[in-house]
Amino acid sequence: MAKDHRAGSKVRGDKLPAILMASHLLEGDTVFLTDGDWTRDPSAAKIAHDAETAEAMEVEGKAAAAANLVIDPYLVPVELTDAGLPVARHFRDAMRQKGPSVHKDMGKQAEFQPLG
Amino acid sequence: MYRYDEFDERFVRERVAQFRGQVERRVDGSLSEDEFKPLRLKNGLYLQLHAYMLRIAVPYGTLNSRQLRQLARIAETYDKGYGHFTTRQNLQFNWPKLKDVPDILDLLADVEMHCIQTSGNCIRNVTSDQFAGVAKDEVEDPRPTAELLRQWSSLHPEFVWLPRKFKIAVTGAEHDRAAIKVHDIGLKLKRNAAGDVGYEVIVGGGLGRTPMIGKVIREFLPKDELLAYLEAVMRVYNSDGRRDNKYKARVKILVHETGEDEFRALVEAEYAKLDGPTINAPADEVERIAAYFAPPAYDALPETSETLAKARADDAELDRFVAQNGFAHKVPGYIALTVALKEIGAVPGDMSAAQMRAFADIAERYSFDEFRVTHSQNLVLPHVKQDDVPAVYAALKAAGLASANAGLITDIIACPGLDYCALATAKSIPIAQSIAHAFADPARQRAIGPLPIKISGCINACGHHHVGAIGILGLEKGGRENYQITVGGDASEHAALGERLGPGIDAEDVPGAIEAIVDTYLAEKEGEESFIETVRRTGAEPFKAGFATFIESRAATASEAAE
Amino acid sequence: MTLITKTGAADDRFTRFDTLEDALATDEPVLIPLAFAPAYVEQRPGAEFGISVPGSAAIEDVAPHLETAALVAVEFPSFADGRGFSLARKIVREGFAGTLRASGPLIADQFLDALACGFTEVELPETMANRQPAQQWLSAKETMSDHYQSGYGTEPSILQKRLAARKGASV
Ligand code: HEM
Ligand code: SF4
Repeated sequence: MAKDHRAGSKVRGDKLPAILMASHLLEGDTVFLTDGDWTRDPSAAKIAHDAETAEAMEVEGKAAAAANLVIDPYLVPVELTDAGLPVARHFRDAMRQKGPSVHKDMGKQAEFQPLG
Repeated sequence: MYRYDEFDERFVRERVAQFRGQVERRVDGSLSEDEFKPLRLKNGLYLQLHAYMLRIAVPYGTLNSRQLRQLARIAETYDKGYGHFTTRQNLQFNWPKLKDVPDILDLLADVEMHCIQTSGNCIRNVTSDQFAGVAKDEVEDPRPTAELLRQWSSLHPEFVWLPRKFKIAVTGAEHDRAAIKVHDIGLKLKRNAAGDVGYEVIVGGGLGRTPMIGKVIREFLPKDELLAYLEAVMRVYNSDGRRDNKYKARVKILVHETGEDEFRALVEAEYAKLDGPTINAPADEVERIAAYFAPPAYDALPETSETLAKARADDAELDRFVAQNGFAHKVPGYIALTVALKEIGAVPGDMSAAQMRAFADIAERYSFDEFRVTHSQNLVLPHVKQDDVPAVYAALKAAGLASANAGLITDIIACPGLDYCALATAKSIPIAQSIAHAFADPARQRAIGPLPIKISGCINACGHHHVGAIGILGLEKGGRENYQITVGGDASEHAALGERLGPGIDAEDVPGAIEAIVDTYLAEKEGEESFIETVRRTGAEPFKAGFATFIESRAATASEAAE
Repeated sequence: MTLITKTGAADDRFTRFDTLEDALATDEPVLIPLAFAPAYVEQRPGAEFGISVPGSAAIEDVAPHLETAALVAVEFPSFADGRGFSLARKIVREGFAGTLRASGPLIADQFLDALACGFTEVELPETMANRQPAQQWLSAKETMSDHYQSGYGTEPSILQKRLAARKGASV
């Protein structure tokens, strides 16, 4: 159901670089794929610069979903900051990297280094 | 208010254990996510953008202080110290963890609460008039009906896998504060010519992407036939409602595509086959439930309070609060007070744990330990002695709960929108905040008068934008958030859907556009007309013109800035 | 396929056939699509057979066969498609007293509801049965002791029990 609303796919043009984002099954928290693991820290997400890496990350995401670890993994097109950090190109995914705009004291923005 | 007996108690406890088992079976892989999702939704658990969200049923919007204190405890232990009241009189927590939810449900069961069917394709929490038992224009208190329906709809063996969600609202008053015409089923208690009490049954209203006003399917249904008749309606819907397209699956589409008369005939044909007495609630049971809603032990008091009159004369702020947020009580010497969760700049409907505790104390001390949740995301103290109003006001003020803006332009309904919601196409709460800031001046708000603004962050219309006197719908256009504005919507007995004023605009232009609409109203207004009355008389045309002028001026500024 | 009844996994006495010829070629009880029923009955009078009907079927089409069929299998295309529950109620209302089977990818959590609507057994595809063995179905059946709705299941509803308790108390 959420699929048709998934914003990453709406970004026009090149879908790379990209990160892989999902929700943690037991916690519900947004998580990002790293090398072989998941992180809650948006700045620690693994970045795919080429199609093969992106595809391999998607496969890893699907496996983690099948193993009842995460829900709804999908690739998110990002732009890199000067520091090389991945900022989602779509405002919906960017909201997930930060937390609610009306509660700056909550979510990722309250816990982790800002991306940009 | 209703209290659980041993059956209700066991039912809710067993439901908690059942959900605990479902979570375990999800984690061990017995249930796939596709299977678990509808099960968790039927227990109010969504997955949103940042976290799970748990929606707690507040049946027909009635709560007591013990329950609110428990909600405060849950907010602090398992969430981030606040809760959010919704347009369907429920409460949402935005940050629970799946692993904690069964424990939260246990805490809720301790105070006779649950999350049963607050989401999913089943019969949802039944809503009602926030002034039930208080309003003078009431034929009969709608809460006993709503409680009967709560029980009847809970884990209904046949109707938990409907084509789509199903919402029922009940009112007992002439003036419709429960929006019964935009519900899947709306019930209105009425008297027939013989003086008997029964229901007008309205089916097929709803908002969402295809807003529709419900149709009267039965002019008068004798009161004791309610459950059998609803079983007939539900069976027709469950059998014939569309399942090929989730956007066409609501009963409103079935009524629309089948035709009102044919739909009525289908229901009556099914109803004729039912053996009513084996289905309907026994009269004893109806009486047993109704007894819980007997009026509280009011004191015999004069019609008006001199204490309050004097305090109002001395304190202009208090006077404005009572004038704006007071609602006439049918019992002499009492008043109902709306407590707007709409401080300027606050998130509409949010309440902190500290405010919950303070409010619980106030309700316990001054309102027979009872309060209500309204579909405008506000609260109501239903039975306050007029003599006590100054003390209540002081206590509310100390808790940051004394905004005197009930029903005014800053009393805005907003859905969670993109700040929380996984389906959102645009932000909703920040729009409400920017409008509230633009109209923050209390004198100006009062000069504008009643003006319900309703905002949704996508076409699903959780913020009821279609029925806002001014409705705002946030969409995505070309990778940006874009807002469409309507005027003329109405959720009351004059139910109407708003008309669009023109093209969508950017977020930063919304407050300016609202200013333009208000200016048009003030220019067109005749006598004491409210905003909606003016729109009803003039139609949307003058507002479209005012809006067009605003858009042109914005375009001009933009091109100047570009030069 | 796995068959689950109130008491646990059971053997299926009926064999499904997609063509009339094949169904007529066996002496075992057969489970055939509704459309073959008239021809089957004509050629095999008195033979024990079952009919398979989609959850979307109209009761008017099913009713004529309820006297002769020993089993009706209501097909669920998905566990979330609740039409079969209403069809079961209508079939029971017609006086059908044979075996009423819910067939399709149901989940254990629906067992209680299926029984309350009049089904007597559930036929699961193997993939579902592997993840949700019979034991899960039996425990799901025990999760709720009561229901509020009069006219469902074999036990009185909560409303009826309350009434009975009060009458008992007042005698
Ligand atoms: C945040 C998670 C939420 C999600 C995913 C969600 C989802 C939806 C969807 C998909 C619809 C359209 C249904 C249809 O027309 O078939 C809808 C409608 C509605 N929702 Fe929500 N909603 C959410 C939150 C809320 C909140 C917070 C409220 C109350 C403030 C609410 C109240 C309503 C109402 C009143 C309607 C529209 C009226 C109708 O049923 O016709 N929802 N919601
Ligand atoms: S209207 Fe849309 S954005 Fe708002 S809560 Fe409903 S589904 Fe979410």
